Amino acid sequence: MSLISFKNVGKSYGEFKALKDINLDINQGQIVSIIGPSGSGKSTLLRTMNGLEEINEGQLIVDDHDLSNPKVDINKLRKDVGMVFQHFNLYANKTILENITLAPRIVLKENTKQAEQNAMKLLEMVGLKDQANKYPSQLSGGQQQRIAIARSLAMKPKAILFDEPTSALDPEMIGDVLNVMKEVAGQDMTMVVVTHEMGFAREVGDRIIFMDSGQILEDSNDPKAFFKKPKEPRAQQFLSKVIGH
Amino acid sequence: MITIIQEHLPQLLTGLLNTVFSSLIALIGSLILGTIFALFEISPNRLLRFIGKAYVEVFRNIPLLVIVLIFYIVIPMYIIKINGFMAGSIGLTIYTSAFIAEVIKAGILSIGKGQMEAARSNGMSYLQSMWHVVLPQAFKVVIPPLGNQFINLVKNSSILAFVAGADLMYQANSIASTTFQTNQTYLIVGLLYLILTMPLSYYMRHLEKKITN
Repeated sequence: MSLISFKNVGKSYGEFKALKDINLDINQGQIVSIIGPSGSGKSTLLRTMNGLEEINEGQLIVDDHDLSNPKVDINKLRKDVGMVFQHFNLYANKTILENITLAPRIVLKENTKQAEQNAMKLLEMVGLKDQANKYPSQLSGGQQQRIAIARSLAMKPKAILFDEPTSALDPEMIGDVLNVMKEVAGQDMTMVVVTHEMGFAREVGDRIIFMDSGQILEDSNDPKAFFKKPKEPRAQQFLSKVIGH
Repeated sequence: MITIIQEHLPQLLTGLLNTVFSSLIALIGSLILGTIFALFEISPNRLLRFIGKAYVEVFRNIPLLVIVLIFYIVIPMYIIKINGFMAGSIGLTIYTSAFIAEVIKAGILSIGKGQMEAARSNGMSYLQSMWHVVLPQAFKVVIPPLGNQFINLVKNSSILAFVAGADLMYQANSIASTTFQTNQTYLIVGLLYLILTMPLSYYMRHLEKKITN
């Protein structure tokens, strides 16, 4: 059964149509990469999946929550759908450990000890156990992004949305973040990743969504074949520019 | 000058104590009210936004004295009897809260939108995100302007003298009119206000340094 389901979804900012007639079903455990040129609506599409952007048309159901219904309890949905941002957005006033334990304590009502034990396990997984008591500003971008992934995982979500998780990083840092993402992908997590990392999309992803001007132009369940030769001319053109150099 | 202090020490101390007490009430009250109305002003709800804006615009554009007199004369006439001290302190609280609301609003708006989005995406409600993530950062940013508001508040508490609030200024008026030593009396009172505001000013600066480090 699909975890995320778009039916004829549209989204506009005034006159500008950011998303046009989106139809998309994402199954539990899938690793979906959304690629495409800037301004094509990739991030907007991702952000509708946890209600950070509202939709104007069609129906969007995520984990049995109908996001087209304005009365939906969005907090309940967000417990189960984590998000990792381009600019990390760690809580600047909290230590690394507190960043990870805050939501589990407040939202899941875990006690502090339990939340901290779980957080330390996650810190070990992302390789940053020794940074637990530092503040986000004391960490490098790549370290912050790994913490942001740990913070999402601490809520034990069904899916994690990644919004260009490596775009703000130094090239050297990207590998560490991608390795953590690969590890998460190996744990049967549903992942939707807006990315410019074609290597990740090809090697780790189960599925490629190619978007341009607010539409899904190509939806491929075979990333390797897609990267060899996409069906759509626009996707061919895009790939030749991205991979060509 | 010494003789005035010697002869009127109890009166001066009572005044000083009332000024401190009234300032403390207004400081805590206006911080709470100011935060609430700042949250109203940036709320996603239109009605709350309107209430927040209306509150701030009305109370920061009316002279403090008028607000205090409303509580001293009008409210006791129709609603509930309150003494000069309380009327003055409530008026001071409301007047100051309008300015503090603007300061805190600016602080909240200075915090990147990503902090709220991250907290919401983490499953926290709007208010939980505000309370645990955005507000603590906003308060840090606004400590210097908040310090200014607090110092103004202590000095503005001299408004209690108009409504028989028994504060420092009220005692000064009373001592001056009985001893006719006007210059010296007000000089002493001026110094006493300095004793209150200088440490406050110093403390706010200390807090600012401590937090930015």
